Amino acid sequence: MKLGRAHAINPAAIINQIDRMGVGAVPIIVLMSAIVGAIIAQQGAFQLRYFGAEIFVVDLVGILILRELGVLMTAIMIAGRSGSAITAEIGSMKMREEVDALTVIGLNPVGVLVFPRLVALMVAVPCLTIVANFAALGGAMLIAWLYSGIPPEAFIDRLRDSIDLSTIFAGLIKAPFMALIVGIIASIEGMKVGGSAESLGGHVTASVVKAIFVVIVVDGMFAIFYAAIDF
Amino acid sequence: MVLIEERQEGQVAQSRDVVLSVRDVTVGFGDTLVLDGLSLDVYRGEILGFVGASGAGKSVLLRTILGLVRKSSGTIHLLGQDLDAATDEERLRVDMHQGVLFQHGALFSALTVLENIQVPMREYLDLPRALMDELAYLKLELVGLPRNAATKYPSELSGGMIKRAALARALALDPDIVFLDEPTSGLDPIGAAEFDELVGKLRDTMGLTVYMVTHDLDSLLTACDRIAVLGGKRVLVEGTVEDMLACDDPWVKAYFRGKRARQIDRSARG
Repeated sequence: MKLGRAHAINPAAIINQIDRMGVGAVPIIVLMSAIVGAIIAQQGAFQLRYFGAEIFVVDLVGILILRELGVLMTAIMIAGRSGSAITAEIGSMKMREEVDALTVIGLNPVGVLVFPRLVALMVAVPCLTIVANFAALGGAMLIAWLYSGIPPEAFIDRLRDSIDLSTIFAGLIKAPFMALIVGIIASIEGMKVGGSAESLGGHVTASVVKAIFVVIVVDGMFAIFYAAIDF
Repeated sequence: MVLIEERQEGQVAQSRDVVLSVRDVTVGFGDTLVLDGLSLDVYRGEILGFVGASGAGKSVLLRTILGLVRKSSGTIHLLGQDLDAATDEERLRVDMHQGVLFQHGALFSALTVLENIQVPMREYLDLPRALMDELAYLKLELVGLPRNAATKYPSELSGGMIKRAALARALALDPDIVFLDEPTSGLDPIGAAEFDELVGKLRDTMGLTVYMVTHDLDSLLTACDRIAVLGGKRVLVEGTVEDMLACDDPWVKAYFRGKRARQIDRSARG
């Protein structure tokens, strides 16, 4: 007999969640990030052209994407894609008394349902952020080439001068925090679901809206913090 | 009259083994009291039918016993253990020896029937996989499900099969007491009768104690040894079907002597 309720971590559940929330999100994250990167590059190049400083578009997209947009867009997409799924899954389990059944059997619903999802998000979001960064820079590079005539080699050369490792980490460091925010808000909303379908819908909406809002606020706070410590 | 019956019941209780004892339990949400000083005993090896008007608090009592709802006062002894005073280990032992069938089955929708049955085994026992499979198939057979149901997901099962699968899960660890929340609701009369028969059979073979919340008069008549009626925030009357028919309370009268209850009336008389 196993005594005590301290449970071993269930790696199968975590890997399954990483597959669903991480690997499954790659196509949409790549597509979205590439488009956003391309738009910023085009707008930046268009404005900078007046000053004859078109090459600075590389600095613009490099810093903007790596520090802010890559992680922010990923977090927002994950809040919409996985946050809603987490709330709906936990919520419908709550509705069908599955959460009660877990408790009665002696399993801790937080440990069984919330923990694997949180861990999976903490792993998936940083990886997705890296993917988003590459995709966005790729989109920007393509537009810089087509629209401004900056060849990819020149783009990469310029990028190497304008960013360093700290730029990349300034963005990446935020990813686990974003994952935690999305996961915790989604789980709390899921646990709050009552007996009706309306309540489920309401809490899924609340989960996504709150998660996106908090993600943006926290991103802003990181920016203030970075500015304060001169990072 | 009810009081005298209760007292007699109490005297008998000393000679019989009490599995579940609820004493003066009060449960309220906000300002409204749902249960007020409710007391109830369930004895080893009996099937207790628990009835009451919708919204009277049957489910609240069940959920209070299971620890899903907080009570404001009173004590609950389950399998000889005071649930409030239990240490984690004692609580674990109680949990191991109880099984619950929720009203809608509450099977884990992400798991197959077989995996559902194995959840409690995995939680409490360290068994090799082959043995767990074998045990789970045994439980399936016990509740009358075909072997091919094992690999199905709850969404692929009919209502009756879900109830049976949920019962199999409740029986996974060979519990001493099972709680059934409206086990026959949503089943056709044949399925319901089979389920009642199954519960009776399990009680006889496994020495199970059954606490059954139900609205099904046929179940009360055929499967239950004793009936307790919840009304006015406490147990209004408990006893056999005959006691119910003799009771003067208008709600109990309406319930057991109403149009739908004619059959009971007849069988009780004749």
